[in-house]
Amino acid sequence: MRVASRAGREARRRGGRYTSRPVGQKGWRVAYPFVAPVLVLTVIFSILPLVLVFRRSLYVGNVFGTNLHFDGLFNYRQVFANGGGHALLVTLIYTVGFVVVTMAVGLAIALLLDVSLRGTGWTRALFIIPVVVPPVATAFIWYTFFQPNTGLFNRILTPLGLPQVTLSGPKIAMAAIISFGAWQFVGEVVILYLGGLKTLPGELLEAATVDGAGALARFFRIRWPLLRRNTALISVVATLNGLQAFTQIYVLTQGGPNGWTQTVLYYIFQEGFGLGAGGSTGQADAMAVILFGISVLVALAQLALVGRAVRQES
Amino acid sequence: MSLLPRWARMLVYILTFVAAAIAAFPLIWMLASALKSNGQIINPHSSLIPQHFEWRNIVNAWNAAPFGRFFINTAIFSVVTTVGQIATGLLAGYAFAMFDFPGRRVLFYLVLSGLMIPFTVVLVPVVQILADVHWLNTYQGLIVPNLASALGAFLFRQFFMGVPEEIGNAGRVDGASEWQIFLRIYRPLAQPMVAAFAIIAFLQNWSNFLFPLVVTTSQSLMMVSQGLTIFQANINRIQYNLLMAGSLIAVLPILVVALVAQRKIVNGLTLGAVR
Repeated sequence: MRVASRAGREARRRGGRYTSRPVGQKGWRVAYPFVAPVLVLTVIFSILPLVLVFRRSLYVGNVFGTNLHFDGLFNYRQVFANGGGHALLVTLIYTVGFVVVTMAVGLAIALLLDVSLRGTGWTRALFIIPVVVPPVATAFIWYTFFQPNTGLFNRILTPLGLPQVTLSGPKIAMAAIISFGAWQFVGEVVILYLGGLKTLPGELLEAATVDGAGALARFFRIRWPLLRRNTALISVVATLNGLQAFTQIYVLTQGGPNGWTQTVLYYIFQEGFGLGAGGSTGQADAMAVILFGISVLVALAQLALVGRAVRQES
Repeated sequence: MSLLPRWARMLVYILTFVAAAIAAFPLIWMLASALKSNGQIINPHSSLIPQHFEWRNIVNAWNAAPFGRFFINTAIFSVVTTVGQIATGLLAGYAFAMFDFPGRRVLFYLVLSGLMIPFTVVLVPVVQILADVHWLNTYQGLIVPNLASALGAFLFRQFFMGVPEEIGNAGRVDGASEWQIFLRIYRPLAQPMVAAFAIIAFLQNWSNFLFPLVVTTSQSLMMVSQGLTIFQANINRIQYNLLMAGSLIAVLPILVVALVAQRKIVNGLTLGAVR
């Protein structure tokens, strides 16, 4: 019965006719070769490793990863004994800072470009370039920005008698990785917001202008509420991107100074590949499970948001 | 829009150009630094514009590491991976949209859940699986784990859901196999979608840094991004001009692609956010 009703729904969606699919329930011989490549690769390189991560996060062995035995939450306790809580805090600071800065600046630029003044269209390309060029190369630009004496900022600050800013200061290091992330990703936010702005009803804004609403009123009373769905979706995209930040941390700070830019992902990288303080992949596995939990929460938020938006539209 | 008074339009102009200048400044700084002498860079009182254009820096940076090899490696990795992602995604997306078969829903959600698992979560066990089959420091170790793009499968499924299934029936009447119907009739229809997905997948693969970093240690397999870190290797004697010249070499080809294919990239970036 359920199958029939689903087929009926899909037939309606496909234009009201109740057609049977060309390859029916007996057609698995035809269908399976089509789906096999993606399926096999997904299982081997996503699902199986995820199971392994969960399993191994509960096991403890020697330094060679052999002689494993079950030890419950030992690895998790080790994670929090070895700076894992700090890594969560760093991830929170970075992600919130990155998302807020990127979205505020991205929305502002999108609003400017949406005015579509003559001679401003070419600037859109400038905002896209940082999104697509290799981030290692551009992160090295930030690296030179923050060098003592010779970097961009210290060239300006030193003659003014102000203290130097370098990547060995925790706050500067955090500001450096956030500002790089924002510069690199803001073009994506601009494009997504521009797409949202194009769908807004122009008559509504014109009517508001005729009624004497100023630019600020038009933004806060009309555009911002109508963009709520875009804002929600873009914030999820930006949050997931923020959780994956790696390149600029590797190039600029290597997690330093003193762990102040060691995010959850960087913690996994260092512990998992023998560069960390704990020296065991068990801690990397436990931290990966934690990162998975965070990502699932963000993804569930996304599903809820999209679901609500779809219901509102239909 | 004619809605704005003259002063507001001036303000929009000014703010737009200020934002554009800030976005462009790091790239201009890179270009300027790449053409300076190292002496000028480390002198805090020197101008931001090169006194003498040291074009030789580009050559020296290119020769400081096997960049030709790095470019070939990056091209092999990104082209093969992108083609593979398109092929596997088209096939699966088509089958999930057009065929009915046992386990269709379950298998589709299995693939989608692959999309939900961030690659970084499974990074360590994937590298260990590759080590177990002796695929570290090999092309297949770099490429095969990236061949399936759940995003691709998802996007192509969405696309084929919107294509009438009757189109293929003419072929079925003529006795064509399902593979022929897919290859001759449906695949060409998906061409615009393939183009949008291809450009964004290619750029992402080209820029992929973390995965090659943990799978390869041998210089003969390094990619451009990884190769750049060579300039940072000796932290006490970094030649900033060569570092920036190397970065310029890495950025330029993609910059050209970005300017030529700007519209397609915008479409692709919009697609990527559907996730």
